[in-house]
Amino acid sequence: MKLCITSMGRHIDDKIDERFGRASYFLIIDTETMEIEPVQNDAQSAEQGAGIKAAQIVRDKGVDAVLTGFLGPKASSALASSKIKIYENASSKDTVKDAIEKFKNRGYTETIHDPSVQRRTGR
Amino acid sequence: MISKELIHTKVITTFHKKSFNTPLIGITGGKGGVGKTTAAVNIAFAIAAKGYRVAIVDADVDAPNAAILTSLALNEPEQVYSMIPEFIETKCTRCGKCVKACRRNALFMPSDSLPVLIGDCNGCETCMLVCPDNAIQKGSRPVGCTYKTQSGSITLYTGELYEGAEESAFVVSALQARLAKHADDFDIIIVDTAPGTHCNVISALRGVDAAYAVTEPTPLGAHDLESILKLLNLFEIKSSIILNRSDLPGSESKIRTLVSEFKSDIPASIPMHESVEKSYAEGRPVVIMFPDSEPAKIFFTLSDSIIREYIR
Repeated sequence: MKLCITSMGRHIDDKIDERFGRASYFLIIDTETMEIEPVQNDAQSAEQGAGIKAAQIVRDKGVDAVLTGFLGPKASSALASSKIKIYENASSKDTVKDAIEKFKNRGYTETIHDPSVQRRTGR
Repeated sequence: MISKELIHTKVITTFHKKSFNTPLIGITGGKGGVGKTTAAVNIAFAIAAKGYRVAIVDADVDAPNAAILTSLALNEPEQVYSMIPEFIETKCTRCGKCVKACRRNALFMPSDSLPVLIGDCNGCETCMLVCPDNAIQKGSRPVGCTYKTQSGSITLYTGELYEGAEESAFVVSALQARLAKHADDFDIIIVDTAPGTHCNVISALRGVDAAYAVTEPTPLGAHDLESILKLLNLFEIKSSIILNRSDLPGSESKIRTLVSEFKSDIPASIPMHESVEKSYAEGRPVVIMFPDSEPAKIFFTLSDSIIREYIR
């Protein structure tokens, strides 16, 4: 599967960025081959709608799942509309490498998008 | 910082245009809580007491409160809608141009369906302009409401923004459009703006013949007065100052300096007085509740000068 992890940098040894819309990088990882594609997040400095724009970037990359610290309701609804799975609670104390390991060991539980949560916004 | 030179004469001319002849007076002031609405309703009721038909427009749609200070009900609601894009399945080719063009990043293109509106749309219609296939039609959603309440010779126009709606500008514009339709029914219109110097204050002041900036002699009052005077100066709006709580010890000299700097004047200084507090607490203008009190007399004098200068 193609997994997108929000990261502070371009490398697997960089720390997790807990933000999604305002994350520095998206590391797109093929969990079978472990091939990694770093994508700079152009939505990071968006005045508004960073979460939705970021969701578009990862959707366009054809990812199957997103692993991040916390996802706002709009980004969450965008990802859910494209059937991209959401995993939250990744910690900035971990590196991307740690998170991949933990992910493979089923250390994160899938967040089910709740369309009734509307007004909470992510920072 | 926008310099005056950058604002084309045309902008100023358009700004001062109005579709009716009734005099329009703005009550503004920069700082919140200085008594803008108190001044607006008292001026309005004082003018009405002289037999004129007065409209009060509460243009602070994020926190409308003129109705509370006048104890008027909110009647004749009219829904305000804002445009949202609606995508036509048969025409949309999923090119994604609308998603890229949206400055608010409000649109999202899912993998196997039409674009969806997820974020905060401000109705700018850019998506419609960039769509090469005319696949977007105008939809609408309610964002607020305007009200018109008539009581004797006073008519209150007010509006409110619905919870969760982001753009108060729609409601302010709808309020102005509604007022413009009946403007000829009045001898004068008093528009009470929101605090601050932002877009909604500017649009509320569109077309005013003069603006009164309400302030108080405190450092904050002086600071925010300077901001609003700069704004009024920029838009070439005639300004005067209403100094509320004028006997507060503090920054009156600063206010005086601003008055001469901006060639303004202080036609009314209203001292603190229990009549104002009581009227505020009861939601009845001081000019009605305590017409013989000192503050009421000051409002009557001010209103007489407004009548002389602007009515007829």
